Amino acid sequence: MATSVTSKQKALGKPEQLVEMSWDPITRIIGNLGIYTKIDFANRRVAECHSTSSLFRGYSVFMKGKDPRDAGFITSRICGICGDNHTTCSVYAQNMAYGIKNPPLAEWIINLGEAAEYMFDHTIFQDNLVFVDFCEAMVKDTNPSVLKKAKTAEAPNAAVHGYRTIAEIMAAFNPFEGEVYKEALQVSRITREMFCLMEGRHVHPSTVYPGGVGTMPTPTLFTDYLSRLMRVIDFIKKSVAMNDDVFDFFYEALPGYEEVGRRRILLGCWGAFQDPDVVDYRYETMDRWGKAMHVTPGVVVDGELVTTNLVDINLGIRILLGSSFYDDWVNEDPFVTRDPLGNPVDMRHPWNQTTLPVPQKRDFGDKYSWVMSPRWKHPQTGEHLALDTGGGPFARLYTTALANLVDTPYVKATGSSVRISLPKGEKLPETTLEWRIPQWSNAIERDRARVYFVAYAAAMALHFVEQGLGLVHAGETKIFEDFEVPDEGIGCGFHEAVRGVLSHHLVIKDKKIANYHPYPPTPWNGSPRDIYGTPGPYEDAVQDMPIFEENGPDDFRGIDIMRAVRSFDPCLPCGVHMYLGKGRTLQKVHSPMFGQNNA
Amino acid sequence: MAEIRVGKPDVRLDLPSHTKGVHQGNKTGAYRHEAGHHLDGTADARRSTGIRPKRRNPILPIMPNLPPG
Repeated sequence: MATSVTSKQKALGKPEQLVEMSWDPITRIIGNLGIYTKIDFANRRVAECHSTSSLFRGYSVFMKGKDPRDAGFITSRICGICGDNHTTCSVYAQNMAYGIKNPPLAEWIINLGEAAEYMFDHTIFQDNLVFVDFCEAMVKDTNPSVLKKAKTAEAPNAAVHGYRTIAEIMAAFNPFEGEVYKEALQVSRITREMFCLMEGRHVHPSTVYPGGVGTMPTPTLFTDYLSRLMRVIDFIKKSVAMNDDVFDFFYEALPGYEEVGRRRILLGCWGAFQDPDVVDYRYETMDRWGKAMHVTPGVVVDGELVTTNLVDINLGIRILLGSSFYDDWVNEDPFVTRDPLGNPVDMRHPWNQTTLPVPQKRDFGDKYSWVMSPRWKHPQTGEHLALDTGGGPFARLYTTALANLVDTPYVKATGSSVRISLPKGEKLPETTLEWRIPQWSNAIERDRARVYFVAYAAAMALHFVEQGLGLVHAGETKIFEDFEVPDEGIGCGFHEAVRGVLSHHLVIKDKKIANYHPYPPTPWNGSPRDIYGTPGPYEDAVQDMPIFEENGPDDFRGIDIMRAVRSFDPCLPCGVHMYLGKGRTLQKVHSPMFGQNNA
Repeated sequence: MAEIRVGKPDVRLDLPSHTKGVHQGNKTGAYRHEAGHHLDGTADARRSTGIRPKRRNPILPIMPNLPPG
């Protein structure tokens, strides 16, 4: 953390005393996300925030010229956490380009794999990473007065989870020692096994291909999955109760905490879990099969649903530059000028993007990130909206609730909420949970939605098992479709990675990939300021945020900022390193090429 | 393309995708060569074993054919 301190008189409030603080890397796997802030300790608020990525991957560069059938396997390697979401999304895009569809049983198998992935990843992230920020050890360190209150605060859902006070719940989340922390690791193992049953291997599936799956559909496959699901169902019910208790307590104990990580409600969800009865992967009918998905796609602006039409969503995507280390591609040749419905496709759309990387020194006044700025152009207002995913579940539940289209035996949308029914487990009775649209888009609501989505995925998985098993019992065991790679074709796939929107755009020429652009959720959430000066969602959520931590600049942990950034589930949040200057002279070295001479 | 200096590729970009002469599972028409898989989407015991598969089929035609693993 840098230590430059500047003072200036502000028009209102106390004189500003800005301290630069940075967390770089905020990471889970590799060190590529950095948050650079200026904190005004006199007024206890964050004055400025920049989010930056120091890593260039270049998938869109080296995918060119490859066989499109390899795309699912290669793009899976983008991420070591949600690789299977990329494979699935790539399969959706390839199916469109090849003009095929998966047999129904294959679709249910993919849905079951993806539901297990959501359960696995959200559980490990929520209970083993997010809750480290809310556990007893951390709160004791950053907000001792809150912990004191928690010791006497009764937990309203004690009958479900068995912890009498909020402090007891917090203690159960203490890393490596807490009961829930340890149980969550076991649950992650079980859900991961469920995933492997369906998609062969975690996290890079070996049995998911365009045209279907290679999983052998026996009755045992589904019963093995179901027995594991029933083992974790009580844990999910308890998790929801504990999360609700802790988050409600934070609102109560720290008035104004809703401002942490709060931003305008601008949410995007690209939909998940295809319905095999409706989906045919044709672009022309994408609106119809998009709406039939078991998580409804949509864009929400200020609490209003703007669209649920995947064609509108697709055509509205714009990849802007402004603060990113790339040259503009407007002078390159476009690949797709009109979509199959005849609508014009913008030059800044992923189908037409050409990646022209220009490594350079990081400069917060100019260009400072390898992440581009994906935006969604509002068809009515023409604004380029910096949509966020709310960490994934928040946007998924929000659009599904508002769209009011999902109606399955276990999950129902109501127009203002999502009702999730979980059956009787080993100890707890049948339970109906209801996620209601909250007032704010803030850190706590993003975190709360996550645990509800675990329940959503579990309930949906029950439905998928019943459907899949029904087909197997009827002898309908076809799981793959053969196809020819066309000489030319285009495709797009829309899916939800665990932490939010995921799209793959594919152009095939001469049976080879001419252009391929995956857009995962973190570029949306972690994008830098675009050409119009609009900050990305992390920056927007952290900037101007109040600070509730009781520590001063010397032993500042930045817990509120961490909670705000982590609520988005940045695909990289476990190893937070904080550099404390303490008067030492820091030499700033920035090397975007990892030391390679850019001569 | 980008103005980044890159090395000479060791292999053709599409090298791992297909080797000439190797059967392609996705090729149109390949489905009917899959043993035990029927074109109507059902399967029989030949899908699972080549050793006297007919003996492992259901005993009545009304029963669904659920070949083991």
